[in-house]
Amino acid sequence: MKKWYLFIVMLLLMGLVACGTGGGNNTTAEPVAEEPVAEEPVAEEPMEEEPMEEEMAFEPMVMAAENCDYGGLIKEIAALDELTVQFTMCAPDPAFPSKAAFTAFAIQPSEYLEATGGTGDLLEKPIGTGPYMVENWARGEEVVFKRYDGYWGDAAKTETLVFRWNSEAAARLLELQAGTVDGIDNPAPDDFATIEADSSLALINRPALNIFYVAMNNTYEPFTDEKVRQAIAMGIDRQRIVDNFYPAGSEVASHFTPCSIPNACVGDSWYEFDPEAARALLAEAGFPDGFSTEIAYRDVVRSYLPEPGVVAQDIQAQLKENLNIDAEIVVMESGAFLDASDSGDLPGLHLLGWGADYPDMTNFLDYHFGAGASKQFGDKFDDITAALTQGAALASDEARMPFYEEANNAIKQHVPMIPVAHGGSGVAYAAAVEGGHASPLGNEYFAVMNPGKDTFVWMQNAEPISLYCSDETDGESLRACEQVTEALLSYEIGGTAVQPALATSCDPNEDLTVWTCHLREGVTFHDGSKLDANDVVVSWGLQWDASHPLHIGNTGAFTYFSALWGGFLNAPEE
Amino acid sequence: MSKVAELPLDDAGIGNISDYRSNSLWRLTLRRVLRQQSAIIGLILLGLLVFLAIAAPIIAPYDPDQVLIGVEDVKKRESPCIHILGCSTDKTQHLMGIDGNVRDEFSRVIYGTRVSLRVGFVTVSFAVLVGTLLGAISGFLGGWVDNIIMRILDVVLAFPFLLLAIAIVSVLGPGLTNAMLAIAIVSIPSYARVVRASVLSVREQDFVEASRALGASNWRILFGRILPNSLPPLIVTATLGIATAILDTAALSFIGLGAQPPTSEWGAMLASERNQVFSAPHLVFFPGLAIMLTVLAFNLLGDGLRDALDPRLVHGAKK
Repeated sequence: MKKWYLFIVMLLLMGLVACGTGGGNNTTAEPVAEEPVAEEPVAEEPMEEEPMEEEMAFEPMVMAAENCDYGGLIKEIAALDELTVQFTMCAPDPAFPSKAAFTAFAIQPSEYLEATGGTGDLLEKPIGTGPYMVENWARGEEVVFKRYDGYWGDAAKTETLVFRWNSEAAARLLELQAGTVDGIDNPAPDDFATIEADSSLALINRPALNIFYVAMNNTYEPFTDEKVRQAIAMGIDRQRIVDNFYPAGSEVASHFTPCSIPNACVGDSWYEFDPEAARALLAEAGFPDGFSTEIAYRDVVRSYLPEPGVVAQDIQAQLKENLNIDAEIVVMESGAFLDASDSGDLPGLHLLGWGADYPDMTNFLDYHFGAGASKQFGDKFDDITAALTQGAALASDEARMPFYEEANNAIKQHVPMIPVAHGGSGVAYAAAVEGGHASPLGNEYFAVMNPGKDTFVWMQNAEPISLYCSDETDGESLRACEQVTEALLSYEIGGTAVQPALATSCDPNEDLTVWTCHLREGVTFHDGSKLDANDVVVSWGLQWDASHPLHIGNTGAFTYFSALWGGFLNAPEE
Repeated sequence: MSKVAELPLDDAGIGNISDYRSNSLWRLTLRRVLRQQSAIIGLILLGLLVFLAIAAPIIAPYDPDQVLIGVEDVKKRESPCIHILGCSTDKTQHLMGIDGNVRDEFSRVIYGTRVSLRVGFVTVSFAVLVGTLLGAISGFLGGWVDNIIMRILDVVLAFPFLLLAIAIVSVLGPGLTNAMLAIAIVSIPSYARVVRASVLSVREQDFVEASRALGASNWRILFGRILPNSLPPLIVTATLGIATAILDTAALSFIGLGAQPPTSEWGAMLASERNQVFSAPHLVFFPGLAIMLTVLAFNLLGDGLRDALDPRLVHGAKK
């Protein structure tokens, strides 16, 4: 009997402790540096005999940095009332709407984020406000989404959406031809003609809003020498690569950023192919007979690199032929390759690219060469980062132009990488699909597509890594998240213009340092809870504050937040 | 003790007898092999492959790594152009078409013969050498030496062949040499077992006892008497092993662990164009055909040798 008493007492104690911890969790989501701004409505006289309304219980949350010395762009995120959230910036940020529309900054219920501890279920079962909700993810096979009937916008056309994947372009096309899938991503360039000739299929070209580049890390010999980097830039015939290994609609990159983005192509164009000058420069750098190096890449098809192996071999052949450089090809697993690139562990050349997340210079240049960029190219170049910081702080394209011109010219001079091509790509659908489109940002929106049946099956290159896209960077994950979660703003379907989403508007003050977003009324999450401003504060805040107990995610890198908003609050020292 | 007695007898008697028996065995074997049609086909195919490998620079119209962009008016993955089959004479002839990197596929397939034959012979030679040594020592000495060697080899044999090779290459790093080494290592137990079994049966025969009685050293008995008489099953296993080695190296190259670009190895060539199986089937067909023919040649020859060298199958082989 004593044992039973002890057991009951233990249970009671554990219950008490659990209650205490629960309270603690609430405080973690509470303001970090400041007390709540608004007064507690509970303090008012309660209505007699009436149940307490939910609005009365709303306690606006605030997260703030003591000052801007931590190096990031955000100073404060505050819920002003249930449907208003305000972002105070350290410097003017004209790109705020473009960035705030990005999938990585989608909003999930604060209670759910806390309940999952910032990881675990959150990685496979996000709870968003989107037209579809995740029903089941059979790892290695498929992700099944179901229509969310409480969606605030137009309901999804199909009851069920299925995501499947296959890394082989030929296999994807075969499935589309067989009718087992309704749409495929990235058909092989050689198959474009086949699809166009088939009346039961429809090919939609995706605009080339991306860049494929050959990267070099300036902390490894012989790439420490700027002349070596310049010699390689002149010694690769980029036109030959685009002409022979890219589909129609692709173009040789004159600058890192595609020219359709404002200010992308100001400044000098890239080096012309000149093998003699390249050899002379290499000899001047002390390598008249060339040297040995590596070409690392991941065998993953992307819009910017439709045939990785073939392009790698052509660059290998060109380096040998034009510069007598012996390059060994190293194929790496995708995740390991990206990690090694980000942490600056690739000693030779490596082939990588970038697809636009939002149509602004900051998405291309700041992410790669700005103050918060990774170690992919080695040590940062002060003149490039300074120009980018100044450019990002200005509102008008005209005012930003001189800084981006300076940045582009400095990139050309230092050659941290060689921009090769803006790759055209495509998406193919069964001809019966209504509303099929290709997004220049790679985030096709399936709620508007109608295949004439209850289920739409989409086949992409690879399986999503996780569905918590605040901590993912690969396009396959982001596209899946797009169907489920939503950000304050969004991009137009099949385009790049920013439009309202969970916020009906995000309005700046005069100098663009304060952005006030007004949330849409009546929006509910897939779990039935109502969207409020505190959900925004927690969804953003846990990414922003590196010491936040929910700052865990999948890898904990939260790369996009760091790159786009300049860095983390309370970041651990390196 | 019997130095005086051993030398004259050995030189005058046993040595000659051994030579005579050995010669007649090989002649007999050759005659038996030549009686079998399949073995003859294997031999002819193998001879052709060896000729292609040796004469590759003469037969192949291009260097296997030469990119034809700017050299000829060809596009990547063009279909074969053979003049006698109706291809316009204005176009340059490419018997097996153009690959994804705009190189002549025929030249790459021809040069690939060199790689594959080298892989087969080097890998099997290494494995046979080590396997024979281990098997012979193990079988001849017996006891704890036999136990230790065979248990270690049993452990190696317990792993799936290709999986172990993949594991070894993963540790050593991708590359043709490492792939060959890995396949050689995992093949050793097969040869060691064959040789050990052979040694165990041969060492009990009268001529071995006679050598021992005449005072021959263990070393001399093992390598001068027992091993030469244990060779037939080893030769059969090795011949069939070359086919396996070529196939496994191609498999390793296919998954990116063997030959690295731009080496014209058939498995690697298959892998790099596998996605184009519908749009450019010739780029998958020809390297695949080359692998098939080479493996077939060694298998036919190996089967023929087995039939010829195994006395129990002599009658069957005549059919």
